[in-house]
Amino acid sequence: MTLPSFVSRHQFLIYRLFSLSGLIPVGAFLVVHLLTNASVLGGAASFQSRVDMIHSLGPLLIPVEFAFIFLPMLFHAAVGFAIIAGGLPNVGSYPYMGNVRYTLQRATGMIAFAFILWHIIQLHWLGAPLGGGRFDPHHATSSAATVIAPLGVSLLYAIGVLSAVFHLSNGLWTIGITWGLWTSPAAMQRANVISIIVGVVLAAAGLGAIGGLRSTDVAAARQVETRMEDFKRMMEGQAPDAAAGGHGAAGSTATVPAADAIDLRGPSEPSALVIPTPTTSSSPPGN
Amino acid sequence: MIMKTDDHGGPTAARTIPVRVLRQDAPGQESYWERHDVPWEPNMNVISVLQKVAAIARSQDGRPVAPVAWDCNCLEEVCGSCTMLINGRTRMACSALVDRLLEEHPDGIELRPMSKFPVVRDLVVDRRRLFHSLQRVKAWVPVDDSFDHGPGPRISPEEQEEAYPLAECMSCGCCLEACPQFTRIETPKREGETDEQLAARRTAAFDQGFIGAHAVSQAVLFNKHPTGKMIADERMAALTGPGGIQMCGNAQNCVAVCPKHIPLTRSIARAGRSATLWALKKLFDR
Repeated sequence: MTLPSFVSRHQFLIYRLFSLSGLIPVGAFLVVHLLTNASVLGGAASFQSRVDMIHSLGPLLIPVEFAFIFLPMLFHAAVGFAIIAGGLPNVGSYPYMGNVRYTLQRATGMIAFAFILWHIIQLHWLGAPLGGGRFDPHHATSSAATVIAPLGVSLLYAIGVLSAVFHLSNGLWTIGITWGLWTSPAAMQRANVISIIVGVVLAAAGLGAIGGLRSTDVAAARQVETRMEDFKRMMEGQAPDAAAGGHGAAGSTATVPAADAIDLRGPSEPSALVIPTPTTSSSPPGN
Repeated sequence: MIMKTDDHGGPTAARTIPVRVLRQDAPGQESYWERHDVPWEPNMNVISVLQKVAAIARSQDGRPVAPVAWDCNCLEEVCGSCTMLINGRTRMACSALVDRLLEEHPDGIELRPMSKFPVVRDLVVDRRRLFHSLQRVKAWVPVDDSFDHGPGPRISPEEQEEAYPLAECMSCGCCLEACPQFTRIETPKREGETDEQLAARRTAAFDQGFIGAHAVSQAVLFNKHPTGKMIADERMAALTGPGGIQMCGNAQNCVAVCPKHIPLTRSIARAGRSATLWALKKLFDR
């Protein structure tokens, strides 16, 4: 059986899986990702502790990323590009709101795809061979803030994030029509209001994260992260490694708020282990 | 309003309307624009403009030209045959009133054939695919014999009120013309091909294409009908087959341009819901 005949025989199933994959897991991932990033507004330690939580999966993170993020996203993108190629946007002749949204859904899908590709190369370890992979999970805030610091990069991130958010929130509305969740014009209108609220909240989270990273004091964030890593190593019964230890011992250790680091402590950990940690809460300079 | 000035610079009593028509002499040939000046009269519609064009039989520059060909029948927006692109938007020529058009576009009127169907000549298009889609979803009540089956099942007034707007569909094709997901399928005759071979090839191509909003809505109409629903599964198979309801991109142009204001997007969403349930049924009930 040729590929075209397979695709045409199973077109309904493929398109419905495409629609579903946009919501789960791709859309759900975007929500988690943007909300996690927005935690940088609560300080470097707050973002770092969430990143540590994700990375506590250890070697399992790679299959989880591929199975629930990369592969569904590639599937969604591949079918999406095929759908875009088969359509004939006509918003010039029929400038109705629904048609504008149809066209924007396709435009934002393509922008978001290009952005995500760039974003992965730039930050994810997969991009390391291409000169990217600059996100350091042990220094989440400082490494991300360094990458995003140029104004042009921040602006491209804002465009990419807003495209992805529009694509998801408008997609939320169309998924409900496609699957027959909301059928009457009045119900579609109500669902539309909910989609807009979801979109506004996600856009605020996404732009907040970019703003939060831009206003981060990279050196101070790095100190916080190093302290947290030292603490984590201590919890695991290892001595801080030479570089990190040297950094931490440079007189700044006592000035870093360690209260943030205590977030890392599991509830079952004996509190005695915390004793060696300085618990002063004076702020580091510039914080 | 267009005012023509006479040689002495004063306005004449006779106003003329510049009309641009995209003409094509035969299938597969190059199309070309032709300009006509049509004298204005009160209460004109686009059909009467085309009748004037045929009566004058000369283009704006005075060249004798063959009359523009177009389709029309009822002249009261019921038969659905006079669909064309009037000032770039799909609508019925009979209900497109010239004075309203000139309010929108004082520069004149532009007429083009529908772009989603093969042109037969000038403004006449081949809308076979539209009717083929209705055949695909079996948009009828399957009672095809001469026996007396007695009275049919009762239909409540509420059901009638739901069904009537869908039954107003006149197969004009406006929903298809405006749909960004419905793209043109043209199968020009090949060298040495018989009519039967061409028809088979055309049908095969139509069967893969998007059925369109009108067919989805008719499937919903007949799947609600107490006798029509006896073949509901066959309609669901067509709706979820290649080119079925999944092709809809939710641009919702169909409902915006429908001259009969048929709630097409509600039909599409209802068909989507039925398709969801039908797919689950197929998956788990077999």
